Amino acid sequence: MTMDMEEMLAKIKDRQWALADIDWDAPGVELISEDFKPKLKAFMADLCWIENVGARGFAAMAKKAPNPTIAEIYRYFHAEEQRHANAELALLKRWGMLEEGEIPEPNVNIRMAIEWLDTYADDMPLSVLGTVIPMLEVALDGALLKFLLEEVHDPVCHQVFEKINNDESRHIAVDFEVLDMIGHAKARKLAIDFVSNLASPGLIIGGLMYLPLLNRMRNNIVDMGLQPEKLYAAMNRFEKLGRRGEFTHRVPLFQVLRVHSKMVVDSEHPYHLLANSLVWASEFYPRALFRPIPTWFKELTHEPVTKGVKNGMNAA
Amino acid sequence: MTVTELPVKKARTKKPVKVHTTLVIGAGFIGLGTAIKLREAGIDDLVILERADRVGGTWRDASYPGAACDIPSQLYSFSFAKNPGWSRAYSPSAEILEHIEELAERFDLVKDIQFNTAVTKLEFDKREARWEVTAGRKKFYARTVVVASGPLSDASLPNITGIEDFEGAKVLSARWDNDYDFAGKSIAVIGTGASAIQIIPELVKVAGSVKVFQRTPGWVMPRLDVETPEIAKAVFEKLPVAQQVTRSALFLAHEAAATGLVWNTPITSLIQQIGKLHIRMTVKDKWLRRQLTPEFRAGCKRMLMSSDYYPALQADNCKLITWPIAKITPKGLQTCDALQHEVDAIVFATGYDVHLGGPPYPITGLDGQLLQEEWSGHPEAYKSASAHGYPNLFFTCGPNSGPGHNSLLVYAQGQIEYAVSGIRAIVEQDLRWIDVKKDVQDSYNVSMQKRLRSTTWMSGCSSWYLTEDGFNASMYPGFATQYLRQMQDFRIRDYEVASNAATRLWNIPRDLAAV
Ligand SMILES: Cc1cc2nc3c(=O)[nH]c(=O)nc-3n(C[C@H](O)[C@H](O)[C@H](O)COP(=O)(O)OP(=O)(O)OC[C@H]3O[C@@H](n4cnc5c(N)ncnc54)[C@H](O)[C@@H]3O)c2cc1C
Ligand SMILES: [Fe+2]
Ligand SMILES: [Fe+2]
Repeated sequence: MTMDMEEMLAKIKDRQWALADIDWDAPGVELISEDFKPKLKAFMADLCWIENVGARGFAAMAKKAPNPTIAEIYRYFHAEEQRHANAELALLKRWGMLEEGEIPEPNVNIRMAIEWLDTYADDMPLSVLGTVIPMLEVALDGALLKFLLEEVHDPVCHQVFEKINNDESRHIAVDFEVLDMIGHAKARKLAIDFVSNLASPGLIIGGLMYLPLLNRMRNNIVDMGLQPEKLYAAMNRFEKLGRRGEFTHRVPLFQVLRVHSKMVVDSEHPYHLLANSLVWASEFYPRALFRPIPTWFKELTHEPVTKGVKNGMNAA
Repeated sequence: MTVTELPVKKARTKKPVKVHTTLVIGAGFIGLGTAIKLREAGIDDLVILERADRVGGTWRDASYPGAACDIPSQLYSFSFAKNPGWSRAYSPSAEILEHIEELAERFDLVKDIQFNTAVTKLEFDKREARWEVTAGRKKFYARTVVVASGPLSDASLPNITGIEDFEGAKVLSARWDNDYDFAGKSIAVIGTGASAIQIIPELVKVAGSVKVFQRTPGWVMPRLDVETPEIAKAVFEKLPVAQQVTRSALFLAHEAAATGLVWNTPITSLIQQIGKLHIRMTVKDKWLRRQLTPEFRAGCKRMLMSSDYYPALQADNCKLITWPIAKITPKGLQTCDALQHEVDAIVFATGYDVHLGGPPYPITGLDGQLLQEEWSGHPEAYKSASAHGYPNLFFTCGPNSGPGHNSLLVYAQGQIEYAVSGIRAIVEQDLRWIDVKKDVQDSYNVSMQKRLRSTTWMSGCSSWYLTEDGFNASMYPGFATQYLRQMQDFRIRDYEVASNAATRLWNIPRDLAAV
């Protein structure tokens, strides 16, 4: 499978959409029951932040892209993940879940992810970023959206997620194409990238952050009364899509994530003891240790149109 | 003034036409400099064609707020026509324009300039051994032509979806609308290149808000723009040698920078460290610093010089936006993060139409071939000044003549000297034409391209220096000193020569007289 990246970039440029394209006051809010709202709010807040995390991931990828066209594609994907976050925030707003000026709090595992990204992502090699991002895309981004559509019957929500899903299908196509390109590299280089990063604080901390993040999402989903199988199906997609690539299987981190996803999917696996204790432990992580939230967070907004500049938006 | 203007129709009646010794296209810095040097060499019969109604070129057109040179003024002038009175280290546009106008007056050049005359076509007439220059309905004839119509003299609105639907003001940085009042308005600036970094600090002072849309950040070096002390002006006035010494010192300092800006070396990394330090010291926010840090080797694209750009970006009424622009809407812009930005005016600081493939008017050579066709893709010339098949034609700012580290006028001085030597040879030896030899031109270009390989320009960024397929036909890979040395060395043996003497001696038809 070889994809014409120029063509893909042209397609991406052609498929742009805006918050202003959507009628946020259209009827349908009433279809969401009051007792479902708190859970939905928590879920959407997480989703919104995961998009934001994905956005930051693509920003890091853009620096590592194998060629200028792919770098440009990542520049767009960075913006598109931000777009998803903005749109999800706008849904929260539509559903009356936000106070004036409120931006939902990211949970502790997301805070950790954000801090990790801000500290390490730009220094990670393509072979690491290019493997982790597809996993996040299929498992968290892709799967969570599907749940939502089954549970929420608001037509505006469906309209929004149809747009988001269309974007995501392009993301995933590029993600796995690049993963295959990574696999095409010299085995020696792959091994060196892998081994040298395996021991790096970046990857170790990254792993420690990823495991509980995934399990927290899993637990949240179960909390909402949903079957975790949906998440598992999505995680299996990671393996399935990866298998389609000719060289993907040569990427060591791909193999690690693949085996790991098998453990996650098996709800009886003792792995969950570990992962859930990490979730539990992270709740005790002293909030004071977090550095101030990076300013790229503040770009998030549900306002479709702005005129002028709010004071000091660059001067944090 | 002895210029014959013949409507096209009349040209058929075989009335003898006025044939100038030299025709210069463009009355910018370089066109005027050429005229000064030609006169000095005793060539008085010249005509300068200028499409505008006054001299000045770049500096007549660059009237946007903050416009100034980014090479110290002492170097941004001709050594043979200095200005002792520069008010600042980096003079503003209006002052440079004044200086150019003063030159035109001091050297009595205006009498030879035909204003409002835009060249549309150049054809070499082999029979008559002269260039036929068309400017709309007018025709001019000259034995030799110097092209000085400017490296960056044309600009147009970029091709962004929806641009024609925008209802607010569209302002092109290169064609500034001085009647538009920016006070209190919401402004978008597209682009963060050399013009933008000069415009933005000025706009931030007056506009209600400024949103800056960036695609790729460039390397920005601090610029120490100080007023020239009165005492210095007085000394330069009375003691020209002092000014020459200052100029030489600045020249050498810029030459030293070539070791990092022209060639990709550890010095390049050092320059990048200075750029990063500049960001560190003036930009507070970590993410903003990341957004402003370039990805390419310093020098690969034009270096930017400013000490007020970074502070301006952090002003309360300014915001840097790095999301790609999805389209322009009737009310403003839409970015790919799904947001729309309403603005009253959009400033397009999107640069110039760089004519890598030759001037925008067709030039037909000795055997009817078209320069623009030959140059599409990979333009080649000899010493940036002559092109095989286009005799008696001298380019300024031609292929591979661009400096990456020094004043363009320093290079231009070499080009002027070269053209004057060529024209003198033609006049003094009574030659019909001289045409650079193909093999000489070819081997020159082989060495150019070989030398270019280790330069910063070829280190992997995309820039307006390169053609679509990444060929570098714009920059000179070397020191200014090297360039000037080659330009001072005009060698007639590099040219095929057709002489009038030969024609007369053998009485052969004129168009066969080429050797
Ligand atoms: C904003 C800006 C800042 C710059 N700053 C610097 C700097 O700091 N340092 C530096 O070294 N260089 C700088 N440059 C480069 C600058 O272009 C050159 O230094 C120099 O001014 C070029 O002079 P010129 O006479 O070749 O061209 P121009 O000044 O462009 O003059 C060309 C003239 O030809 C006329 N013309 C064009 N086409 C035709 C035609 N078909 N027929 C008749 N006339 C025509 C034009 O109207 C113009 O008057 C800058 C350029 C710009 C645009
Ligand atoms: Fe997304
Ligand atoms: Fe995505």
